[in-house]
Amino acid sequence: MKQLWTVFEFELMNFVKAKSFVITTILVAVLLGGATFLPRFIDLSDMLGIESTKKDSDKDDKEQQDEEKEAKKIAIYDESGYFEDLTVLTETFSQAEEEATFEKKDSEADLKKAVENEEVDAGFYVVDDLHYYYYVVNNSFADSNAMVFEQLLSMIHKQAYCAEQGIDFVSFAEGYDAPVEGEVQVLGKDMENSFWYCYALVIVVFMIIVLYGTMIATSVTSEKSNRAIEVLVTSVNADCLLFGKVFAGAVAAIVQVGVIMASALIGYSVNHTYWGDKLDMLLNIPGSVLLTFAVFGIGGFLFYAFLYGAMGALVSKTEDINKTAGSLQMVIMVVYFVVLAQLQNVDGTIMKVCSYLPISSYSAMFVRIGMGKVSMVEVVISAIILYASIFFAGWIGARIYRMGTLRYGNPIKIGKALKELKNVE
Amino acid sequence: MKLEVKDIHKSFSEKEILKGISFSVESGKALGLLGRNGAGKTTTIRTIMDVFHANSGEILVDGKKFDPRKIQIGYLPEERGLYPKRKVMDQMVYLARLRGVSKKKAIDNAKKWLERLEVIQHQNVLLETLSKGNQQKVQLASTLVCEPEIVILDEPFSGLDPVNSQILQDVVKELIADGKIVIFSSHQMSYVEEFCEDIVMINAGEVVLDGNLLEIKKEYGKNQLIVSAIDKDVDTLSQMLETQFSNMVAVTGSTKTEVIVKLVDGVTRMDFFKGLSDVDGLVIERFETYKPSLNDIFVAKVGEEA
Repeated sequence: MKQLWTVFEFELMNFVKAKSFVITTILVAVLLGGATFLPRFIDLSDMLGIESTKKDSDKDDKEQQDEEKEAKKIAIYDESGYFEDLTVLTETFSQAEEEATFEKKDSEADLKKAVENEEVDAGFYVVDDLHYYYYVVNNSFADSNAMVFEQLLSMIHKQAYCAEQGIDFVSFAEGYDAPVEGEVQVLGKDMENSFWYCYALVIVVFMIIVLYGTMIATSVTSEKSNRAIEVLVTSVNADCLLFGKVFAGAVAAIVQVGVIMASALIGYSVNHTYWGDKLDMLLNIPGSVLLTFAVFGIGGFLFYAFLYGAMGALVSKTEDINKTAGSLQMVIMVVYFVVLAQLQNVDGTIMKVCSYLPISSYSAMFVRIGMGKVSMVEVVISAIILYASIFFAGWIGARIYRMGTLRYGNPIKIGKALKELKNVE
Repeated sequence: MKLEVKDIHKSFSEKEILKGISFSVESGKALGLLGRNGAGKTTTIRTIMDVFHANSGEILVDGKKFDPRKIQIGYLPEERGLYPKRKVMDQMVYLARLRGVSKKKAIDNAKKWLERLEVIQHQNVLLETLSKGNQQKVQLASTLVCEPEIVILDEPFSGLDPVNSQILQDVVKELIADGKIVIFSSHQMSYVEEFCEDIVMINAGEVVLDGNLLEIKKEYGKNQLIVSAIDKDVDTLSQMLETQFSNMVAVTGSTKTEVIVKLVDGVTRMDFFKGLSDVDGLVIERFETYKPSLNDIFVAKVGEEA
């Protein structure tokens, strides 16, 4: 135990004394924490879709900016006769915060030519109240002209239909478009809220496993390449060496991710009103979810970290690590994509199976707890399977580590390593 | 303390590398493990250190099963290596603590050995910034930082310059004087002759010669003499001995200035000396018992076996 602690202490210092670790942790924590204060100083209301929280003078500035924004030029060729008066178009676009000026064209060809020559930004060819064509040179995601126009045309169609049928449009609209008021009372889990932070946490744990797993594998391989391993294995047993290394990696990861997450979460909790609570879905994570994330996230990390350590022992040069760790990486990637693909169906069979397998329960069970229906018994069984598998992975990892001690040269294939394990003891 | 290696066998992929290695060594003595490249010296050492598990045989210390992790051992492997990107002191303390030494004691020991090996000024720098010679000294200091009872050095002199070799020789002598068991392998026979009371010569995985070095030398020098004469070069003297004294001696070799001969059974050295003194014009310069060097024995024995 004393030796395990000695290895742990030495390896932990290896991680946390590294300049890259210190700089990355502080930089990311400061940037993320600082970003949560942004709405106090910069008006993000547009981006967040909320009322500005900035001072009035700032608001005035924005209005001025909007006014200064150049209005778009849109041409229209109207065969339907609904747009004799263009003010209805100008007003409709203005209400939709799309300032535009309109000009008429005499034919479809003129309209196309004007758009092609970029005399206008876009053009509408209206056939009747149900058919139109939208001309634009380059269509973009942000272009909402067609949508605004279509709503207007739809309104015109409804008015025309009402007139035709002898219905009073105003009373029809009041009755037909009456707003429905409803409130969702979530008795179980609110997927709308939990989806995003589950999504984010799955990505976080995936990144930690790959990043720190590779670091652990590199650390093992370095001891082989710098030949320190022979002195180590003759001083202390391989279990202590691998477990100490992996636990040190886990603590370093928890410290790094903990500092970064704490910075973001505390910053947001201080500033959430300035964000209009818009990031609640991402940053207002319930304590119970964080706890299960910790239990299954750390479990998954340890499971893979031991295997990464073993993969590191199978090669003698750090540049060869991917040759053995690649297959492990592939498993992690597959699990990652399967879980993300199944986020909309967390109680489906695939997620149920994944939530019991040690290779995937770290994210699948965590997501089921966060978003789905899962009983405490299932959680406990999954956790027991995961933690038992960790010790098995640690045991087998330590044996591969010991077996690979003096095996230099070409990378050892995993299958061959497992076959030879019996000769280690 | 007595370390005994008994009938160790070790095979790799059906190929038998060690074919029953046995020897023993006691506190305050040094044992030299000799052999050509690939003879099995390093495999023997690694088997003692439990890097490799022996297929059969046993290793005992004071009659009990030997576990290198439970006894203070200083091990300098053939493949040297520490952490290039860690400070000298940090890694020395780490290695000592892995062997159960307290942190305070580890720091004291590390300072002591760094000072003894004249690299104390580098205690707080990264290992990779040191010259190769100084890195070797740090490696040796790391070997001794746990205050070992048994010191196993695999080719300790390889790569050392004459000054560092002298420092290492002094350290090894001190360890022996302190009552430690020292086992070391080397190709450099002069070092083995200097420290070792006992030797084990391995060839092709087998012990071909072992025992007390002085006795081995005596045995190899038995009935052999070295002869030189004034104004006679080695070739002339050799030729004369072969032609005129073939009934008394057989020429077995020569050095730059002396001829080595072996007395024929029944002939005494006095008979031979009288014979030589009867030769007209032959002025004997040296006439004494031949004491073979370890190198001579090594070449003779291993060459013979090969």
